[in-house]
Amino acid sequence: MRFSGFRHLLEYLAENRQDDTAFIYEDNGICRMTYGEFYVAVLLRSQQLQESGKTCIAVFADGSLASIIKIFAAVIGGLQTVMLDPSTPEEHLGELIRYADCDTVYGRQEHIDLCTPYLTDGIIDGTGRILFFTSGTTSRAKAVVLSDYSLMQSAWNGSQMLPLKEGDLLLSILPHAHVFGFVCTLLWPMFNAVPVALGRGVRHYIDDAQYFHPTVISVVPSLLNFMMKMNCLNDELRLILVGAGDCSDELMQAVKDKGIQLSFGYGLTETSSGVAISTGGDPRALDICPDDKITIAPDGEILIESRTCMMQGYYKYSSDTINTVQEGVLHTGDLGYIDDDGRLHLNGRKKDILVLSDGNKIYLPEYESEIAAAIGDDKIAVSLKNGRPVLVMENEADRDAIQAKINEINRLQTRSRQITDIITLGHPLPLTPSGKLQRWKLEKEIEDL
Amino acid sequence: MITREEVLAKTKKVIMDNVPEMIKGELTEDTVLNNETAIDSMGFILVVTKLEGMFDVHIPDDKWSKMITLGDIVDTVMKYLPKEEQ
Repeated sequence: MRFSGFRHLLEYLAENRQDDTAFIYEDNGICRMTYGEFYVAVLLRSQQLQESGKTCIAVFADGSLASIIKIFAAVIGGLQTVMLDPSTPEEHLGELIRYADCDTVYGRQEHIDLCTPYLTDGIIDGTGRILFFTSGTTSRAKAVVLSDYSLMQSAWNGSQMLPLKEGDLLLSILPHAHVFGFVCTLLWPMFNAVPVALGRGVRHYIDDAQYFHPTVISVVPSLLNFMMKMNCLNDELRLILVGAGDCSDELMQAVKDKGIQLSFGYGLTETSSGVAISTGGDPRALDICPDDKITIAPDGEILIESRTCMMQGYYKYSSDTINTVQEGVLHTGDLGYIDDDGRLHLNGRKKDILVLSDGNKIYLPEYESEIAAAIGDDKIAVSLKNGRPVLVMENEADRDAIQAKINEINRLQTRSRQITDIITLGHPLPLTPSGKLQRWKLEKEIEDL
Repeated sequence: MITREEVLAKTKKVIMDNVPEMIKGELTEDTVLNNETAIDSMGFILVVTKLEGMFDVHIPDDKWSKMITLGDIVDTVMKYLPKEEQ
């Protein structure tokens, strides 16, 4: 069964699974909320929001039950809903609030205090819009406009590929402000009427699995690596869905040795999360979701058409939308191929974007411009070494002075985006005849250093 | 009352105990933890979580990315120590 949006989903669950557990969470012990209770709580908050006359709400999606209720209430109440990551550096919050036209904010009091000076008069009609920020530098905040319809269709597609079962329990530990976390740790289980255990935050990555005993978790590669390294997965776990990046062969084998099914999902914020998911023996061979069509351009770029899950566009960036979605086809910037069985394989990036192991992205031209301006040297590049961002310079420079500038820039970045090393090449950066940086060549050189 | 020196010493020990394979060279207050030591984001979570438990502090999530050097961590722990410990 398909659901047309959040209201449809909640009405169905409240009517047919009223007394079943929707959420399990910690509040001085393990507590439960049923679908019936959740629906009532959402409707109540929704009514309050409508009566407030507000039009656009920023929600700090901290993974708590209260924030989930607020998100559903805002969407059902017809407010434009802006998903904010609580770990966003506070220096950037004002810009995000203004850009997204928020006239109210939900979160911890410190967050509300920080955002309030930047609230706007709101918007005329943002009904149905849910904004997810892409992980670019916040010098140019850019949000993808989705809807509860597109998100529900994404959950439907995921469920067709990888259905959850009666008796499953999914542990939700990824940030809900990122579309993979929202769809694959909330909507996917709710679609299947499977209860969601709400993780207790980053401090409990190490013991949440042993505490809640889930059968399914959705993670990013760095988190899976951490959980395996710390040996903190529970015996009941049967399925791990990995999004936003690849894992090492050793890690995949270690998961397999535990008897746990490992599936990879591929998708973008622009496609409301996954468009291809591995369901068979090879986790890197991805089956394409029913609503999506994937083709490969002559240069290897993955192109996506989706009749139900495509974004409405980038908020206030219509030219970027036109460049990215051409005649209904999304140009992903990812490289891949389709094998003889029709399965998608990924093998790199075409665009100037680094994809980090926690799912965050770095838009290189913007990031490099910011760094070049700060250190007064434009013969630089940002690349990955051992999976982590490093600054590459052509020439020797005052390392302590450069490091001090980099420390200042790092303080404005989430941790995975911080520059972890400064590498001096001692020769010019590799460029094409037209002067474009050959990033693959640079990455290979510094990996070999 | 906990002194800054005690926090520094215990922080070094937590780092050495939990991510020893990532430490390169001596740890000083100026050591950039996302650089010389190359503690990845999950290792960093582990270290901060251990320190929170050890010193009974709660460091707000949005302050975590501000802790660049070992000295930053010590300063932050000191800032959030319970009043009776300061």
